[in-house]
Amino acid sequence: MAKYSLYPRRPTSIAPDPLARLGAGALGGASAARRFLFTLIAGVAAPFAPGKAAGVVCRRIAVRQIFFTGFQALPLVSVIAIFVGATLVLQIQLMTARLPAELVGQIVVAVVLRELAPVTTAIIVAGRSGTAIATELGNMRANSEILGLASLAIDPMRFVVAPRLLGTVVSVLVLTVYFGAIAILSGYGFSVLLGGSSLTALRSGVGDALLPADLPLFLVKGLGLGTLVGWVCCHFGLEVGASLTEVPRKASQAVMMCLLVCVVYNAIVTAGFYWLVGPIH
Amino acid sequence: MESGISLVDVSFGYGKSVVLRRASLGIPRGGTAVVAGRNGAGKSTLLYVCAGLLPVASGSVTIDGHAPDARHPAALMGAGVRRGFVFQEGGLLSNMNALANVALPLYYHADSLQLEPEQVEARARAALERVGLSGNELYELPAHLSFGVRKRLALARAIALEPNFFYFDDPDVGLDPATAALVHEILCGYRDDPAVTMLVATNRDLLIDRLGVPGYTLRDGVITPRSVPQPPPRLPSRLA
Repeated sequence: MAKYSLYPRRPTSIAPDPLARLGAGALGGASAARRFLFTLIAGVAAPFAPGKAAGVVCRRIAVRQIFFTGFQALPLVSVIAIFVGATLVLQIQLMTARLPAELVGQIVVAVVLRELAPVTTAIIVAGRSGTAIATELGNMRANSEILGLASLAIDPMRFVVAPRLLGTVVSVLVLTVYFGAIAILSGYGFSVLLGGSSLTALRSGVGDALLPADLPLFLVKGLGLGTLVGWVCCHFGLEVGASLTEVPRKASQAVMMCLLVCVVYNAIVTAGFYWLVGPIH
Repeated sequence: MESGISLVDVSFGYGKSVVLRRASLGIPRGGTAVVAGRNGAGKSTLLYVCAGLLPVASGSVTIDGHAPDARHPAALMGAGVRRGFVFQEGGLLSNMNALANVALPLYYHADSLQLEPEQVEARARAALERVGLSGNELYELPAHLSFGVRKRLALARAIALEPNFFYFDDPDVGLDPATAALVHEILCGYRDDPAVTMLVATNRDLLIDRLGVPGYTLRDGVITPRSVPQPPPRLPSRLA
């Protein structure tokens, strides 16, 4: 009995040469990298293209994106920040019961403000809005809506990508500040409630740990992570071909890639920060 | 040929599937041409390529002497090329209602079209009325409209921009006879307009006969000219 194939492939008369396959793979990879870079460059450059009316239309879409990605995520970010801050302070106090409260405050700043807040916020935005962006753009590709926009001389990079990119950048930046503030407040609250330390001691620890260099670090992380989330999700959405079944696959790939690049980016920026600033005492 | 639509030795394919093989086609400015071919011959792809919506592997495409860039679709607008494209299916924005679908390109290009914001909606409504759409249908999402209404909506969206380069992909398929006649009438209007260059992909003999313009056939990726359609020969009186 002939073998049944659920996904029959195009018959080829010539067995593929391994070298040719390698070359084709390399060319395909280079083409994918070029498309990936183009999404970012075109998405960033698009708002500066001529057309005042087009700018007005795209700004309205960007505001809606910021509302959806940033404002509507506030309840979720609040709940996660409260529990993260409380858990962190409890763990520190359990492990370092003999340490002064100022040191606890310093650790909270280092861990929450410099590390947890940017990465956790980026992961929340990627999981909540990144999937929505990749799915929406994937559906638009599969339904020829992107082609339809192009036929109307509407640049998809300006109309579709740029507002979403701006939405994720602004949202990650603002939500990171919000997450850090809520997590630290929650940590203080739990710490004081449990009688582990006084509010004054913790506050002075936080104050001592904050450096002027924290502001650029915060901005570099917020802007970079927001850009990565928007860029990766838009790109994967636009990579969908003609089949709707590709949409969930690309959305899933987009979020996985977001998690990966965000964690790696965060580690690189942190390493660079400590290399520049030196050890903090 | 520099003005109008020009395609010279263009090759295009999707992956390993070759759709166009060194295809050439020329339509003078203000002219109209019809492309026929069997289903799956690549008529829609040919229209996309002629409209500059897809980048070609080799050869050259020009619209009014300008080479379109598929990555920068708005660039041609600045050069005075206003394209109208009626898709065979799809192409409408699924999250916008019918009126918004038509008004969006007008808002987007309001400065180059010299439209005030209050004129945009009036022009969108006029375009919709021209294809017989009005009332509650204007506020429905495309998914809630029938195929024929979506087709007319796509036509309204294209004509609202008052294009000087028009591409129709099977414009009357799936329409009832009255609506198809309305679409034919609109097409004949554009055919007679010297400011509009038009390319129509269709297999409908009725439409081809009504347009009565030079035609091409697309087969195995090659474009060959067809003779100008002649009225059918009259039957001998004894058979009539």
